[in-house]
Amino acid sequence: MAEISNSPPPEPKLTEQNSQTQITESFTSQFDSKTMRKTKPGVKRLIMTLTVVISFILGFPLLMKSIEIYRAPLPFDRIESFSSKIESSPLLFPCRFRAIFVGFNFRVSNNELEEVIRRKMIDLSPGDSRCGCDGDYSVSAVVDLEEVNAVEVGGKLRENNEEADELVKRLVNVYGEEKVYSVVVVNGEEEVKAVVGKYRHAWIVGKVSEEDAVFHVAEIFAKVFVNGRSEDGVIRNEFMPVGADGRIVLSFSLLNADPRDWIYDWDFSEIDETLLQPVIEALKPVADVTVESQVLYHTPKSSFSYWDDEHGSHIFSTQDLPFFVNSNEWHLDTSVAAGGRSKVLQLVVYIPSAKECPLQLELPNGEISKTNGFISPMWGGVVVWNPQSCIKDFESKGPVRHKISPQDLHKVFEVLMGQLRQLLGLKSDDIYVGESGTSILLGSERGFTEWELDALSRKHFCFNLLSCATTLGSLSRLVQSLPRMIIMDEIGKQVKFSLEAANSAQTNATIGIYDASAVSSRHSRSLAEDAFFHPSIMSISYYSFEHCFAIYSPFFLPVTMHILLAAVREWKRYKQENRKYLTWKAKAKTTP
Amino acid sequence: MALPPTTIVTLSLLLLLPILSSSIVEEAFSEELLLKPLPDRKILTHFHFQTEAPISDDSFARHHHLFPKSIAQLVKKFHIKAMELSFTQGRWNYERWGGFDPISSQNAKPPGVELWAVFDVPPHQVDAYWKNLTHSLSGLFCASINFLESSSSYSAPKWASQSALGSLRYGTLPREAVCTENLTPWLKLLPCRDKAGLSALMDRPSIYRSFYHSQRLHLTTSKAPADGLDSGIILEQTLTVVLQPNIQRAGISYPDEIKIQPSWSLSSIFGRKINGRCVLAKSSNVYLQFERGLVTQLENIQKNTVAYDSNDTGTEVLRRNLCFELSITPDRVHRELEKSSSLLYEYSIKGYNDTEQFDLGLIWKYPVVWSSPHAPLYASRFLTGSGNERGSIAISLKSTELTKDFIAANNVEEKCKLQVNVLQIVPWYIKVYYHTLQILVDEKPHAVTDFVEKMGVSPSEDKVSPGLMELVLRFPCEIKSAVLNIEFDKGFLHIDEYPPDANQGFDIPSAIISFPDFHAALQFLNNSISNSPMLSKLQEKSPVLSYTEVLLVPLTTPDFSMPYNVITITCTVFALYFGSLLNVLRRRVGEEERLLKNKDANKAAILRRILDKFWGRSSESTQPQQPSSSSSSSSSSSFINPKLFLKVLLVAGIAVIWQYYLK
Repeated sequence: MAEISNSPPPEPKLTEQNSQTQITESFTSQFDSKTMRKTKPGVKRLIMTLTVVISFILGFPLLMKSIEIYRAPLPFDRIESFSSKIESSPLLFPCRFRAIFVGFNFRVSNNELEEVIRRKMIDLSPGDSRCGCDGDYSVSAVVDLEEVNAVEVGGKLRENNEEADELVKRLVNVYGEEKVYSVVVVNGEEEVKAVVGKYRHAWIVGKVSEEDAVFHVAEIFAKVFVNGRSEDGVIRNEFMPVGADGRIVLSFSLLNADPRDWIYDWDFSEIDETLLQPVIEALKPVADVTVESQVLYHTPKSSFSYWDDEHGSHIFSTQDLPFFVNSNEWHLDTSVAAGGRSKVLQLVVYIPSAKECPLQLELPNGEISKTNGFISPMWGGVVVWNPQSCIKDFESKGPVRHKISPQDLHKVFEVLMGQLRQLLGLKSDDIYVGESGTSILLGSERGFTEWELDALSRKHFCFNLLSCATTLGSLSRLVQSLPRMIIMDEIGKQVKFSLEAANSAQTNATIGIYDASAVSSRHSRSLAEDAFFHPSIMSISYYSFEHCFAIYSPFFLPVTMHILLAAVREWKRYKQENRKYLTWKAKAKTTP
Repeated sequence: MALPPTTIVTLSLLLLLPILSSSIVEEAFSEELLLKPLPDRKILTHFHFQTEAPISDDSFARHHHLFPKSIAQLVKKFHIKAMELSFTQGRWNYERWGGFDPISSQNAKPPGVELWAVFDVPPHQVDAYWKNLTHSLSGLFCASINFLESSSSYSAPKWASQSALGSLRYGTLPREAVCTENLTPWLKLLPCRDKAGLSALMDRPSIYRSFYHSQRLHLTTSKAPADGLDSGIILEQTLTVVLQPNIQRAGISYPDEIKIQPSWSLSSIFGRKINGRCVLAKSSNVYLQFERGLVTQLENIQKNTVAYDSNDTGTEVLRRNLCFELSITPDRVHRELEKSSSLLYEYSIKGYNDTEQFDLGLIWKYPVVWSSPHAPLYASRFLTGSGNERGSIAISLKSTELTKDFIAANNVEEKCKLQVNVLQIVPWYIKVYYHTLQILVDEKPHAVTDFVEKMGVSPSEDKVSPGLMELVLRFPCEIKSAVLNIEFDKGFLHIDEYPPDANQGFDIPSAIISFPDFHAALQFLNNSISNSPMLSKLQEKSPVLSYTEVLLVPLTTPDFSMPYNVITITCTVFALYFGSLLNVLRRRVGEEERLLKNKDANKAAILRRILDKFWGRSSESTQPQQPSSSSSSSSSSSFINPKLFLKVLLVAGIAVIWQYYLK
């Protein structure tokens, strides 16, 4: 500073002398030092201040770059298009159907027959199905197999449903592929009997006209095989009790309401081996099922029941059901082993205490429930099991330990399996009443028939893709709404993979590969959930703009003020001086 | 005292001795309660619940009848071989409540949470399993056990056990508050919870009003006697509470009154009675223990007053004698085998129910004074030094009367030695200088090598692992006191690492002092205790063990707004510098001077002008050139005023824009 202030002084003197000499020489009278100057105004300082301003402006992006936080690029537009595609267009599988008519004499050709069935099916299908089979059903019809004798086969089909099922399976397999839903119609003289087997086929035997046969076939196709007998094709959000990682934990609990009266125990391992393993096997394509059990004591229900003389039992009604599950005392617990985001379904067997035994559920129509149990969607099911005799043995000190007999246990587990089917969105009755007559539905020893599992995996697929789309959609909204949130690379990767899996699921579905599409849809959902629940999103969540402002404002506010003011002043001064010079110049021109 | 020359000693905090009892074939549960009057007018209640399950068959951790599913799943998922988790509030008073009995060496725990676990996995996976385990446990017990996850909060003691070398992890949280939300999940593991049986006694206000309570969960695998394979898992849950019974007797107080022990009953200490057993329990018993000192005193009194008939040991005498009276006649009495023996009254609560409740009471009639047996050395730990820079930790060991007995007993041998093991874990921000270890025996400094037989140190690593010191000391039996002193520097934590209440100070977990030569075990006739898990636990030979106090070290805590202050002041300085530099650069000194010369010849005009500004027009009269000066000053002030105004406006504008931006 000292140098700057020391060096300039001689200069003004010089200019002063200059101006003085000039003044004395020629323009003594006209020159006014306040409005005129003879030299061009200097631009040194102006350039300097402008340089500083410009360098600040140029430096600003650098600063922004340096304080930028890391955000992995998320494919927002792909997410957007994916979810809009899922929202708008239904998710459909190609399904193929085959009708086999034995002993019929159709006047029309096979092609026309196919067309008739197809149109009937479209009429019967519930409008705009969002999920399930492709609306453009491919139906093939076969009339009169040469090698089959209508009377003989009809007789066989009448006898034993189980054997008939195998027979039809063999009959149908003549045509190769198993993934085709088939109905065999055998003309006969007796009453009409329609049975849906446990594979992917059904048969109708009896005296049936051509039109009725066609209509019945179309109805079985459309109502049973396509929809899995659920009324609506709509996928509800809570439809599938499958965890985000594609697992279900079936947690079986035996609740002894009051062990002081009696203690019941069960041999669960045996049930596990004989009854549950086939079910677990069957549900493999839909979910990975694990089973665990426990026995709990001192677990009273929290609703009231009253004694009813007519039924000779204690009654709890359907209104009380919301209060039956006693969450204070029933420490059913989530499973430690399951971990992650698996879904735990509680299946509870409740043994009432002596003072409320026998305990029966009364239905709203006044009848006693046959199953004596109820389900709570997405939570599980409860079955009340009453001991044989409800009289407490007062003689013996201390309670007696019993084991539930295998027969009773089988009955209880049949009910529980029915509840599981209901929890998964299937029905448990064994008869289907349609417009064109009733059909008997054969149950499978695995708990789930093949056509049911098909419908289930179709729904599961739709549900997975839908929830994947909503999860990714909310993730992208969240990320966009918080512009200063850190997003790890991993999240970006998960989103990418999730989208890829969803795409591959869709392509697989359009080809009709059920298993692969189920797997990749499950994968896409779990990846989407992983991305959404990634711990880094929750941690030091975001470095806010307020924070940034508070840190940088003590420097930038005063400095920018200085710079801007300086620039403005210099510019003004330059303009003013320049005007002075110009007036002098004008004057100088006029005077000589 | 014939110890092998290289004793790798099991620090008995791990009661890892596998139980070689009969192999477990089915799940079983038993409940027991031990009551014991303490010398300082308090009473010890010790609940003991044990659940066993066979581990061999494949339904383990999947199908259970009595054993808690969640624990079984933990064991299976994390391959736990043994584990102990304790929640404690208060400190066990080793001086008054004793330090040489199984209860104190097994159930006296350091305040807060203590967790150790042995895993059955390859050594490189142990840490991962430990971390997952802490998270699961913290969810299970509603406690912040997950803070033990970070590697700076747990350690792997080496000599703690030979069998679990490398697969053991140990960690404590001294500041964890223990309350009923930890007890409820613990009770949920019992088949009857607190609905029936002995656990129904657990009245929360009485427990949490107590002087000391410690709830403990201990898992061990038991080995089959035949093939030595793991046959089952034993879950042992204990709750130890030290309570002050209310003085029941009202009315006139005798001068003697204060000396008489307070009489109590179950209903007076817990406010509840036992309404019968948990029907699922294999055995449910209540025990009342009179320890050795008390029994000796009682016998002396009996002898002094009346001719004591030693042959008459009928139940009536046991129940009602000169000094005390029991409200219920015991079903059985166990007497220890040794000469000075302790007494154990057993009550089975099988026969009691809602109508006939069990309410054991003890009424003292004669003042008795006794003391509990002590550990060979009484250990305490304290901090020395002052200031926020350095200090030192001192562990002092003082001899108790037991040491003298020990000397007397071992006098025959030439050189009697007393072995003491010390395990000390310090967090990394206490930077301990292990070379500064000093030992003062009988207040005289000695060389460390004189007494330290083995020393294992794993120094702390900043923000990674805590420091661990294991010492095997061997003192002559006749020592009176010993002090171990070690110096440390206090470290600095990163600003993010301070807990919310940083000014409270930081805890150093308790040191563990154990005496491997001494075993605290009661010796009863074998046939009498065959089916009682608690008594077999009391009989188990376990080394005497005591925990020292938790130390509170104040660390320098920063001013937490400091970083922002630093930013602000640096920015301001920079802004000032920058602004003035810019002004200087664009200054026109010559022009300014010319202007000044034109306006005022006086050299001190600027100063004048400033003075003018301060004093307004007061200096006008002194100025010779009034019109020009006043005009210039007014013009300058009018020139400054809009500028100021502009600045204020600018700031206000920015504020307004900012406000709008925010909205």
